[in-house]
Amino acid sequence: MRRILSLLLLSAPLVAASPPTLLDILSAELDRNFNVLKQKGDPPPYYMAYAVTDVETQTLSGSFGLVNSRNKSHLRYLDITIRVGSSKLDNYRIIKGERARFTSGSVIPLDDVPAAITRRIWLETDRTYRLAARRLIEIKSNEQVRVKQEDDSDDFSSEPPSVHQEPPAPLGELSANWIDHVRKWSGELSNYPGVLNSGVGLAIERETKYLVNTEGTRLVHGRTFATVQISAGGKASDGMDLATDEDFQGFDLARLPKPEVIEAAVARVGNDLSNLLKAPVAEPFVGPAILSGRAAGVFFHEIFGHRLEGHRQKDESEGQTFAKAVGTPVLPDFLSVKFDPTRETIESTDLNGYYKYDDEGVKAAPVTVVENGILKTFLMSRSPIQGFDHSNGHGRRQAGAEVVSRQSNLIVESTNKVSERALRAMLVAEIKRQNKPYGLYFEQVTGGYTLTQRRGLQAYTVIPLIVYRVYPDGRPDELVRGVDIVGTPLASFSKILATSDKLAVFNGYCGAESGQVPVSAVAPALLVSEIEIQKKEHSVDRPPLLARPTETGQ
Amino acid sequence: MCRPARIAFRWFACVCWLLPALAVAEDADPLLRALTDELERSRQLRIAGLDAPYFIEYRVEDTNSYSISATLGALISLRESHVRIPMVSVRVGDYAFDNSNHIYSEAPSGSRYAPDELPLEDNYSAFRQVLWLATDHAYKTAEDAIARKRSSLKNMSVPDQLPDFSKASPIHAILPVKKEPRNPGVWKDRVVKLSAIFADYPQVLSSGIEMHVSESTNYVVNSEGTAERTPEDVAYIRVRANGLASDGTTVRDAEVMQAFDENGLPAETELRRQVSEVAKDVTALAQAPAGEAYDGPMLFEARAAAQLFGQVLGDNLKVARKPVTDPGRAAPHVASELENRVGSRILPEWMDVVDDSTQTEWRGHTLLGHYSYDIEGVAPEPLPLIEKGLLRTYLLTRTPAFKGFESSNGHARLTSLFGARGAGFGNLFVRASQSMPASDMKKQLIEMCVQRNKPYGILVRKLDYPSSASLDELRRMAAGMAQSGGSGHPVTAPLLIYKVYPDGKEELVRAVRFRGLSTRSLKDIVAASDESYVFDLIDSNAPLALMGAGSYLTTASVIAPAVLFDELELEPIQEDVPKPPLVPPPSLTGF
Repeated sequence: MRRILSLLLLSAPLVAASPPTLLDILSAELDRNFNVLKQKGDPPPYYMAYAVTDVETQTLSGSFGLVNSRNKSHLRYLDITIRVGSSKLDNYRIIKGERARFTSGSVIPLDDVPAAITRRIWLETDRTYRLAARRLIEIKSNEQVRVKQEDDSDDFSSEPPSVHQEPPAPLGELSANWIDHVRKWSGELSNYPGVLNSGVGLAIERETKYLVNTEGTRLVHGRTFATVQISAGGKASDGMDLATDEDFQGFDLARLPKPEVIEAAVARVGNDLSNLLKAPVAEPFVGPAILSGRAAGVFFHEIFGHRLEGHRQKDESEGQTFAKAVGTPVLPDFLSVKFDPTRETIESTDLNGYYKYDDEGVKAAPVTVVENGILKTFLMSRSPIQGFDHSNGHGRRQAGAEVVSRQSNLIVESTNKVSERALRAMLVAEIKRQNKPYGLYFEQVTGGYTLTQRRGLQAYTVIPLIVYRVYPDGRPDELVRGVDIVGTPLASFSKILATSDKLAVFNGYCGAESGQVPVSAVAPALLVSEIEIQKKEHSVDRPPLLARPTETGQ
Repeated sequence: MCRPARIAFRWFACVCWLLPALAVAEDADPLLRALTDELERSRQLRIAGLDAPYFIEYRVEDTNSYSISATLGALISLRESHVRIPMVSVRVGDYAFDNSNHIYSEAPSGSRYAPDELPLEDNYSAFRQVLWLATDHAYKTAEDAIARKRSSLKNMSVPDQLPDFSKASPIHAILPVKKEPRNPGVWKDRVVKLSAIFADYPQVLSSGIEMHVSESTNYVVNSEGTAERTPEDVAYIRVRANGLASDGTTVRDAEVMQAFDENGLPAETELRRQVSEVAKDVTALAQAPAGEAYDGPMLFEARAAAQLFGQVLGDNLKVARKPVTDPGRAAPHVASELENRVGSRILPEWMDVVDDSTQTEWRGHTLLGHYSYDIEGVAPEPLPLIEKGLLRTYLLTRTPAFKGFESSNGHARLTSLFGARGAGFGNLFVRASQSMPASDMKKQLIEMCVQRNKPYGILVRKLDYPSSASLDELRRMAAGMAQSGGSGHPVTAPLLIYKVYPDGKEELVRAVRFRGLSTRSLKDIVAASDESYVFDLIDSNAPLALMGAGSYLTTASVIAPAVLFDELELEPIQEDVPKPPLVPPPSLTGF
């Protein structure tokens, strides 16, 4: 007993002498503001949170074998959440499809100087509180004149607080080695025939997230990122603009693929573009196709993932494709879909949608949304919907935006899987069965978008980069250009016949109401009985009038 | 990601480009060679049946810069950047009628392949690749623009069509580029320390210091034979702070210190003094009473007078061409108050205004408005703008603005829209042939008040120019001005303005603005002081040279005496003011 006491005495002055951390500063200022606003505010807040996103980045880009730009940046953004009213009805309720934004993502100092940081927080808290209070008054008067909403679940769920401190590893410097690589690769890329613009970009980033809330959450966590992007663009003789790209993501530079692998991708990007420029233009077509694993990942992310985001089921301006479909089949029974933000890698590829806590401080956990074709649940933030009272750790945002439910690592699993070779044989059989001249193979897509709003067309588009015609008579596959996939979501799912047995990863950034968030989509290749493509609208201006300058000038 | 504001500044060393040794330097500059060679090749650009290019210009800004921002002893950000930005203009048609000066003159046409930036590493053939694609795009844009312009004009009768572009003699000025080492690390510590000064002033609600240092080399090469390379550097420190008066209105003060490079900035003690001044001003303003409506004599001390002339004269002497628009569609154009007023009285007959950008210094003070060539490669000469109170001419670029003022006088200093460059002043000298000691002016102000039975007169010590107002504040100001019958060229609010009582006592007041102050008010100047103030500023293409706004910056100076107006008006700023924060401010000292 005595020993413990003396230890405490000894350590006390030490504690007092160590400078406060950002988390200490945030906690103390949160308590101070919350206590006063609870007493004096009308309406008083029932919940407050301060989030700081500390972002350090280094970027390097090259073209023609030269460094184009090199930048470093380090900024800290503050996001404030103030909820007034009660968890049953608060200032975050959506009225007439309108989602309010209270936070501004203002920039705060990088140095942990309490006076400097607390001053910014205090002023921002005041600004945010005024907006929140005004909004609640508007909502309350609106509620009185409108019919009851179909889904009148609460506005905010109760969740256990999270306490965890694990800052990510320091960022380090871009080594001279990488600069040489960027020079070399960008030089090689600019030499492919027809390439007009091209570049290789490299970025490393360290994102540290701090979160304190009035329920006792105290979090410091985050991760580092490394990205290599390779892109090339050109113009076909008919004026069509064409572009190819590839990118690699890892938690840090050391985890990116070996230089040989990236170099091979550089050659693919260059060759693919040169070949595309000479390829015939695709004709409108309806028929069977294979989507590569990466293309399938994007397909699922766009047409399925976005429609499982919980907040869309409640918002009356949304299409609510699946709002009442829980417990019913939404996919073929051989497919299951889960979102697993805790999964770090698949087949040695780091997954971009990895995190330990979401942006409301809820611990990340795997969520099976579809099991054997049956819809089980939605992606949930702390905004409840009918039948789903709690978050499942998918409340996410980019600094400066308000949290909504977002995707993480989407993983498609299949029980009807065959080898890639067998899947191709099935495609050929399907082409013959349907008596089509050819089928399609979507090798690469660059991303896509989907419209989920009620007033828009419930359509989706994925943007294919590399598409081949596959002929049933054994002729070699033929590259085509100018392809656009069209379709409506529900119809597409019923047309999946089988999948391959190999998972592929598409890493990227997804943009929606709450900004850009890192995600991944992991899927096997899909065989679909029917897909529709249309001709892409394209530019008609001429290729450059003068020839490429050739004088060396040496 | 946003790009830092483009900065174009000049070099104040001697112009020694005639030295033969520099021929080697020129030849060794691969960027200059690439610009010249690709421009030469681009003369062949042509689409059969369409207008041929008659003028091609390449400009490049190679800018190395750093920015620091700090508050209350803590760093907010330190950003370093190096960019080389190519800007290509292609004009098709001829000087009389071309693709410019139409609302869609710069609407891009066709696909764009050229990157926004040139490589940072020198490589002749890579530079040419970028220029080749950028020129192709600019040419296609020009062809589209001239067609749209013709179609707009088809159904309109335009009296006295002005030429679209004026001729200028080519210049060849390849100035040496010598770069001094810069010290972002040293300045970071200094700026952070300076920002901590505000911690001693509890009335200051929020404060910040920003520093920006940039070194640029600007290139201009055109098809008329001009080849120019000029180093242009600048460094500035902005100090801003605001506080709350007891009635909840915001009060603020700001100060900017600028020089051509970081070594030209004031010494540490002077910087500390300036920052403390801003803190003291905010503290005093927070306690000052609100001002009232006033009409009567008003004295502008020399600095405030220079700030007033910079806005009221400077901005109205910068004239812009009104673009052609589609029938029934308003052209985005703010007319100068001085349009069609050449020969009219603007000032008392004992006052003159001259822009003399050839002067590098004035009574030992380096003039920031000095430059050798403008961004169209035209050299400025001493330019009498107002003689014996009568308007003589305007600040002109190569884009004719009015009939009779059709060639450049070397004042293209900013970027603008519709293919034109923006006019800017360099060293704007406001001179008075009748003057009195500054101390007598206050006496005269008091005398005038007494004569007219006014309880007090008004003394203006500092205007908010370049403006440090928030966008929100500007919007409210524009709305308020519109109600009180203002022009398209509002005058910024006074930051430090005083009531002067018959006994000479000065009382600081807040929350007032000028009413109806415009170029027409300048005729009412009744006296000027015999000492002038040099007011250096960072001018931009933003209204009121708003700090942090504007996509293009330049340096300028106004040299002016104190002036006494017979009659000017003030009105109180009456706005709905938010209640002060419910939560008291956090501690500035401990944790």
